[in-house]
Amino acid sequence: MRRVAFVALLVSQAAFAQKTDARLDCKHTGKDFIYDCVIRLARAGEPLTGAQVTVGADMPSMPMAHQVKPVKAKPTKTLGEYRARLDLEMGGEWAVKLRLSDPVRDQLVLHYEFDERGARPVKRSAKSPRK
Amino acid sequence: MDEYAIGVLTSIGLLTFVAASAYLLLIAGELSFGQQAFFGVGAYAAGIATAMFGLPLPLAILAAMLLGGLAAALVGLPALRLRGLYFAMATLAAAEMLRILFELFHWQVQVGGEAVGPDGTQGFRGIRWVFERGVEPLGFLGIVWALLAGVVLLFILVERSRLGTTIRALGEDPELAGALGVDVLRLKLGVVAAAGALAALGGALFAHHNTYIEPRNFDIMLGVHTLAYALIGGLGTVFGPLLGVALDLGLLEGTRVFQGYRMIVFGGLVALLLIWRPRGLLDERMVHWLRTRR
Amino acid sequence: MALIDIFQNTLDGLTAGASYALLGVGFTLIFGVLRRANLSYGPAIMLGAYAATWVSLHTGAGLLVLFLVAVLATVLAGSYVERLCFAPHRRGPAAAAMVASFAIWMQLEELATLLLPRHLYAFPALYEGGALHFGPFSLRVESLLMLLAALAVCFVGWKALYATRFGVAVRAVIDDPRAAELSGISVGAISLRVFALASAIGGLTGFLIVASHEQVTPMLGMWSTLKGMLAMMLGGLGSLPGAVVGGLALGLIEAHSQWYLGPQFRDFIAYFLLFALLAARPPWMNTRSAY
Repeated sequence: MRRVAFVALLVSQAAFAQKTDARLDCKHTGKDFIYDCVIRLARAGEPLTGAQVTVGADMPSMPMAHQVKPVKAKPTKTLGEYRARLDLEMGGEWAVKLRLSDPVRDQLVLHYEFDERGARPVKRSAKSPRK
Repeated sequence: MDEYAIGVLTSIGLLTFVAASAYLLLIAGELSFGQQAFFGVGAYAAGIATAMFGLPLPLAILAAMLLGGLAAALVGLPALRLRGLYFAMATLAAAEMLRILFELFHWQVQVGGEAVGPDGTQGFRGIRWVFERGVEPLGFLGIVWALLAGVVLLFILVERSRLGTTIRALGEDPELAGALGVDVLRLKLGVVAAAGALAALGGALFAHHNTYIEPRNFDIMLGVHTLAYALIGGLGTVFGPLLGVALDLGLLEGTRVFQGYRMIVFGGLVALLLIWRPRGLLDERMVHWLRTRR
Repeated sequence: MALIDIFQNTLDGLTAGASYALLGVGFTLIFGVLRRANLSYGPAIMLGAYAATWVSLHTGAGLLVLFLVAVLATVLAGSYVERLCFAPHRRGPAAAAMVASFAIWMQLEELATLLLPRHLYAFPALYEGGALHFGPFSLRVESLLMLLAALAVCFVGWKALYATRFGVAVRAVIDDPRAAELSGISVGAISLRVFALASAIGGLTGFLIVASHEQVTPMLGMWSTLKGMLAMMLGGLGSLPGAVVGGLALGLIEAHSQWYLGPQFRDFIAYFLLFALLAARPPWMNTRSAY
């Protein structure tokens, strides 16, 4: 029994050790600031299917101030793709949080810049913010 | 409980640590625009402890509080004799310096084949100690509020003690307090350090809640907001800062009634409220009135 | 050649410093008369700039009109702040006024973003043309205009303070509000007018800044507040000439720090200098009891 538990622990550790890759594709719906987003998840090169994905967001410069209602992403016909509608209070840079449960537990934070067209991934530079 | 509600309640709890930190300095008579920096020190310290060195969370929190208190004391010491706006500007300058230092802070170690650690403006990812132990959002909410309850209890005890009275005396009239034999500078330094440790405690929890922190999380807006929460909630009791945070996050933001206009409403309400109640809702007079009703 | 760099950086520093000096003067006027820091000063300027941008986007009006809009909007915002945050707390605790001004800061910023939701807007250029070149040095015409504006404001302000009755009253209130009140000066009326004056200067400064950069962003509010307060404190709180010197000094320090050490150190050094000065409290910093 203990050996089974030990092996199970090893396996789960291995599952944790692998990282989930996520890509976000958002389109502005026309209503401020609601976006239709497609999330692509993959693990070790394979698309991740059947995951429970909850999407939330926070503004880096004022954490906890803008409570975006977390939404459950719905899987689409494509493997590893999920759909969610994000209702942000404003445009700008957001830290999108993906919480995965079942069968894999993971938590990801992605930075995207949201404007009137959609969302672009942000690569932070070394410069401090200026006017 | 609905996940949105859990999120809002957790945020309220976390921000109350910073607001209470500002409150402590306020009742000691000083305005601080810089408590967010110690929130950041706590966040980085705890994150480094758990994600880079595998220390358990309680130990990380202790380390965070120690470092936060130390940093605050280091900042407070040269500024000790300053008062009013001068002290406030000194805290602002110090906080911004700390934030820039976070932007320049690069330190990574190999953990399980990956580089983990603060990476300047790219932030500090992978603070997953709490997450990896299967603690769900509701469980973490419990941890935050349990610790907050402990802090509140401590405040209540201190405020009823001689120390509390002395601190308030310092806030009311430092010259008089000094004339009555209070070591004004030492007390002020102690309050500054305690406030720093308190903010750091919140920061440690924040880092593990978010699993990712970056220098921008700790900028002036956080500090000024939490200061405002303390002043609006009231300076009569530690429930004041809690009330202030809850009013903004819980009532206004949480109910999403004023979507897009929240700050206009909140800002206007605050300005009007301060005309009527310059020391906040739960100010000393209100607290006294509530206490003597029994 | 290093000497050329030093001179060019000094030139650039003085230019940036001119805008900081103007911001510092606005802050100091309010602080000197009301003994309180107005945290809504920057946001009021931002609202003025945003109003001008809105007008520019919807009507394509000329620079003069935009300038007037900016100044008017800033003065209106400033008066609103004065009535709501400072007039009621004149005899009360100073912290309440400052926090109220912070609350209105949030309000004005949200108003501005409601007016113009995006993160970047173009603004008509102040000057369409190249920079001036003399030898190896260059000076943008916009920068020259900013310097001239700062000089003009200083000159006009100096004349107003020392050659008009209004100026005498203002100086009396700055010196000792209670004595001024007893001499028959209405401190409340003076406060409102000084606020309007400071806001007008702020509106001018904001207009020059966004026209020089040809763009407007929501960071303008916080940026103006920080630079203005830094300039005010570096030059010795409550001193108008000090604010000018402080602003210019800040610009110089920033320009040289940035050249040799990069943008992060530029900011760090400015804050460090302020902190060090506050800690050392030299006599010219005028650390009278202040809120």
